[in-house]
Amino acid sequence: MLEIKNLGVRYGAASPALEGVDLTVRPGECVTLLGANGSGKTSLFCALSGLIPSTGQIRFEEREIGRMRPAAIVALGIAQCPEGRQLFPDLSVEKNLRLGAYVGRRDRRGTEAALERVCTLFPDVRDKLRSPAGALSGGQQQMVAIGRALMARPKLLLLDEPSLGLAPKLVEATLDAVAEINRAGTMVLLAEQNAYAALSIAHRGYVLANGRVVLEGSASALQQNELVKKAFIGA
Amino acid sequence: MHLFFQELLNGLVVGSLYALVALGLALVYGTMQIPNFAHGHLYMLGAYVAFFGVTVAHVGYWPAMLLAIVVLALVGVVLERLVFRPLRNAPEVNTIIAAVGVLFFLQTLAQVWFGGDYRVFPTPYDKVVHFAGLVATQQQLIVIAAAAVLMVALFWFLKRTLTGATIEAVAQNRAGAALVGIDPNRVSMMVFAISAGLAAAAATLIASISLISPSMGFTVILKAFAIIVLGGMGSVPGAIIGAYILAFAESFGGTYISSNYQDAIAFGVLVLILTFKPTGLFAKGT
Repeated sequence: MLEIKNLGVRYGAASPALEGVDLTVRPGECVTLLGANGSGKTSLFCALSGLIPSTGQIRFEEREIGRMRPAAIVALGIAQCPEGRQLFPDLSVEKNLRLGAYVGRRDRRGTEAALERVCTLFPDVRDKLRSPAGALSGGQQQMVAIGRALMARPKLLLLDEPSLGLAPKLVEATLDAVAEINRAGTMVLLAEQNAYAALSIAHRGYVLANGRVVLEGSASALQQNELVKKAFIGA
Repeated sequence: MHLFFQELLNGLVVGSLYALVALGLALVYGTMQIPNFAHGHLYMLGAYVAFFGVTVAHVGYWPAMLLAIVVLALVGVVLERLVFRPLRNAPEVNTIIAAVGVLFFLQTLAQVWFGGDYRVFPTPYDKVVHFAGLVATQQQLIVIAAAAVLMVALFWFLKRTLTGATIEAVAQNRAGAALVGIDPNRVSMMVFAISAGLAAAAATLIASISLISPSMGFTVILKAFAIIVLGGMGSVPGAIIGAYILAFAESFGGTYISSNYQDAIAFGVLVLILTFKPTGLFAKGT
């Protein structure tokens, strides 16, 4: 279980990127984080992964992780598929995936099982294991990026706009995969601009604006919410 | 024809030396974008550690080399931690100035500690070997073979082990590496250790053919930089190929054209290649 209380992030002297954010992901849940560009979604994810300093509390399974280093956070079971994918372009897809299991590298059998699981979830990835990751199409790279995060066998998967720049059909396939990962028991925190698609697979959602949570609720309640409709769904 | 093969052999010896030095430089540049101008002086320091290992501690040639590699690997780690890591997010020119500062620091240190004299590094392998009409010292053959072994070992490490892959991962995407749980700072230290260790091995190999002195790092670092520019900044195979190209240009140019113009010919070849491939032989994407 992830519990965030009063989280703040500030870059330099500018107005804060995040302020007073409270957010929870309960066991088994898929939670979506909605918000326009610059609303603070990526800052929240970077703070969770320990890439940028933050104030407030971030507790994961009863442990305070707000000041931990990225490697320690991954080892505790929080893996991120970041915005822009951040793959290793000249390494093969297989090496990208195996590096995803870096924190669990001593468990060889677990790594092989995770690799098999990723290949089953994304059959296209299996055909490309030997290719350099940078040579793949955007959609395939997205699969590799999600797969790489899964290789860490996380308890909580952070997905930062996995559908960005993908064709509508691929968006659907990507989010189906996310739903499947969640059904298998992994907690998911999903940042999306595509609110309709995200709410269709999430249990609950939060709406961020200017670094603050302005709305939260169950997925179905948010789908009916006038503000969400107007701001994100365009209905 | 006989002369040709003799020069081929000489080129291989010098190329092996250049390759080991340039490889370390390329690894550090490729992973951290640090142009380590002090690299030649780490090489010099390695030569002295091995020299004192052999002449003072009497540990024998190979243990002395191992000692030099270990000591320099530690120096490399300290250098990363104390000098380069704090400059990680500083403008590049600060890193360059720091590297030059380390160069002068090590140069002065060596002058004070070891004196400015040239010293002869004793080698147990000074016998001359004749085969097929060619003449070589045992030491020359050892340089070629040892360099080949080290390069194969490095390639195996980078391409076939997960720890080696973390170096390439950090080189290609530092943020991505941190996100999968690799500690980029630890990888940086490891790269500096390998880089300085290779320089120490190169220095021990070649010291008994040439002489050692506190300024022996200067010529080598100039050539090593020329090589990694030729090979494509930060490319490991580029550094190796570039090293042998420069060495062969020197040895053949020196023999067939004029030994007075040996370096001019070698760097002329370099300029020529860069005219046609401005980003180097194995330029990385973008």
